[in-house]
Amino acid sequence: MANVRIDRLHKEFRGPTGTVHALQELTLDIADGEFVSLVGPSGCGKSTALRIIAGLEVPSSGRILFGPRDITKLEPRDRNIAMVFQSYALYPHMTVRQNLEYGLRKRGIGKEERARKVAAIAPMLRLETMLERKPRQLSGGQRQRVALGRALIRDPEVFLLDEPLSNLDAKLRVHMRAELAALHQKLRTTMIYVTHDQLEAMTLSDRIVVMNHGVMQQVGTPEEIYSRPANRFVAEFIGTPSMNMIEGELRIEGGRPVFQGPGIAVPLPQAPPRMPATPQATLGVRPEDIALVPPDAPGAIRAKVTVSELAGAERYHFIELGSGSVILRTPATTVLRPGETVALGLDPARLHLFAGAGEDAAALR
Amino acid sequence: MLRLLRTYGLAMVLLTFVAFPLYWMTLTSLKPQTEVFRVPPTFLPATWTLEHYVNLFWLTDFGLLFWNSLKVCLLSTALSLAVGILGAYALARFNVRGKEAYGRLVLLAYMFPGALLVIPLLLLFRELGLTNSHLGLSLAYLTFSLPFVMWVMRDFFASVPVDLEEAAMIDGATRLGALWDVVLPQAVPGIIATGIFAFLFAWNEYLYALILISDESLRTLPPGMMRFVSTTDTNWGLIMAASTLATLPMALAFGLIQRYLVTGMGAGGVKG
Ligand SMILES: Nc1ncnc2c1ncn2[C@@H]1O[C@H](COP(=O)(O)OP(=O)(O)OP(=O)(O)O)[C@@H](O)[C@H]1O
Ligand SMILES: [Mg+2]
Repeated sequence: MANVRIDRLHKEFRGPTGTVHALQELTLDIADGEFVSLVGPSGCGKSTALRIIAGLEVPSSGRILFGPRDITKLEPRDRNIAMVFQSYALYPHMTVRQNLEYGLRKRGIGKEERARKVAAIAPMLRLETMLERKPRQLSGGQRQRVALGRALIRDPEVFLLDEPLSNLDAKLRVHMRAELAALHQKLRTTMIYVTHDQLEAMTLSDRIVVMNHGVMQQVGTPEEIYSRPANRFVAEFIGTPSMNMIEGELRIEGGRPVFQGPGIAVPLPQAPPRMPATPQATLGVRPEDIALVPPDAPGAIRAKVTVSELAGAERYHFIELGSGSVILRTPATTVLRPGETVALGLDPARLHLFAGAGEDAAALR
Repeated sequence: MLRLLRTYGLAMVLLTFVAFPLYWMTLTSLKPQTEVFRVPPTFLPATWTLEHYVNLFWLTDFGLLFWNSLKVCLLSTALSLAVGILGAYALARFNVRGKEAYGRLVLLAYMFPGALLVIPLLLLFRELGLTNSHLGLSLAYLTFSLPFVMWVMRDFFASVPVDLEEAAMIDGATRLGALWDVVLPQAVPGIIATGIFAFLFAWNEYLYALILISDESLRTLPPGMMRFVSTTDTNWGLIMAASTLATLPMALAFGLIQRYLVTGMGAGGVKG
């Protein structure tokens, strides 16, 4: 068991088409026993970060420490980590038992001890009846559990998982997600989990690291990431449907801050502590933070419904607002007809304001 | 039906073309000396005899030649596999500068006519004291078999997922350990196929064996058997017996591992 310190990790790939900065100055402290997820769109450097921690890739600069130990230059086998690959990477010519035992054998653990450990771990992953099978004789979910077992059996200091669930069908994925959560509850081993599925990250993690273009955008608990996104990228990346974004300007009118968008004006409860240099700003509001209000309510915004979609227990309504469009999320019981005019209320405490309009527009708070 | 007939007909013609010399060789080796040149020829020996085989071992040094050949071929096969597998793995996995150019150079070396290399090799080997040495001859055979092994095995390794090795290295293996434990088992058909080709090439090779070895006690089969042909009195029965025995390892090899050969060449050939 160990806490992990990632210190200004940088990785560039040089290729014939130029240099890719896959990872830029990643600094992160992970507590012992913590479950941390790295999320971000494809190509943002999640796998690169994980592979550097595993020792499969050499960083261009920066350090990694497990507890007091600087492991930046150690071989993978000397790091006492375990990794679960997206492809599972089970050894095809070995039985499940041999797959599970391989790491122990490589560490010189005797036959009896190995058998004992397999016997201990197999029931936990419900693999008892298939120990003598080859990987190709297993279903996707079973292979996944063998891959987990192969990592678990070694009692690693740090557990690395690179999109371990992404090859499973939707239902199995939810199931394995719950098993993984239970496993972490029980083992309390440090786990670093890479996914591009924000739901997995939200449900499993103690903390989430959101990345984009190799740069860490925000790190925080799932709650913080969701309710206080640090910039426009994080705000839009986390949450489905994504946060509504209205581009406009931040003004002070009659001593009160007002957001002026195309065709709408939204008074804000208070001015940001520091006013940005330029008035350009983006107002963000989550689909569930827009309420349907009586037409005569103070501050009500009148708007027209374009489309409504039923998504199981809830409905998404697409609404024309000013010259743009927003999504409103309600229980399935709220039925709106296309063309209908509704009155919307924005909860001032749940508005997000970003300085500027780009992806990296920082939250004003 | 007609198609089937045509296919089988064609197969029969090919088979006759290939198999008749083998058949004639074997039969001749079993005929007494007096029957070998009889006109009209007998398609089955009138008298069966093993005299040529007995003579082969008692009156000639066939046993020694066979043993020398076996030694050289096994050694050169082992060397070309050991070196070729490591080289192919490096070409498949590591990002070495000039890797592609090197890969093509390997292919070029494979296609280079051996007859052009033999004199330079002789001069070089003489300097190095590698003439009249089984090791020397084995090394000479590497000029041909090593490029072949590297070329085929490189494709094999490229088709094995990198994840497997990485998983093994995280599990505690060194890179060589991972190669041995998880990569090579996936490449067994390729290893067997290329190993056989390396062996057969060396087994059949005549020119290098003739020129690089002059010591009679070190001779290998192909040039050694040449001495059975003499200008005045050639014992064809004896030569055919020797040829039959010399063909045996090849026939055995092909028979036993046909299956691997097909999958091996197939799998290696898909990528390219
Ligand atoms: N070996 C490599 N050589 C060159 N570029 C690479 C290499 N590995 C990764 N990259 C580049 O580095 C960037 C980050 O890649 P990485 O695999 O870390 O992304 P990721 O976040 O895991 O994406 P995904 O969700 O698709 O798996 C990408 O632009 C990728 O093209
Ligand atoms: Mg990835």
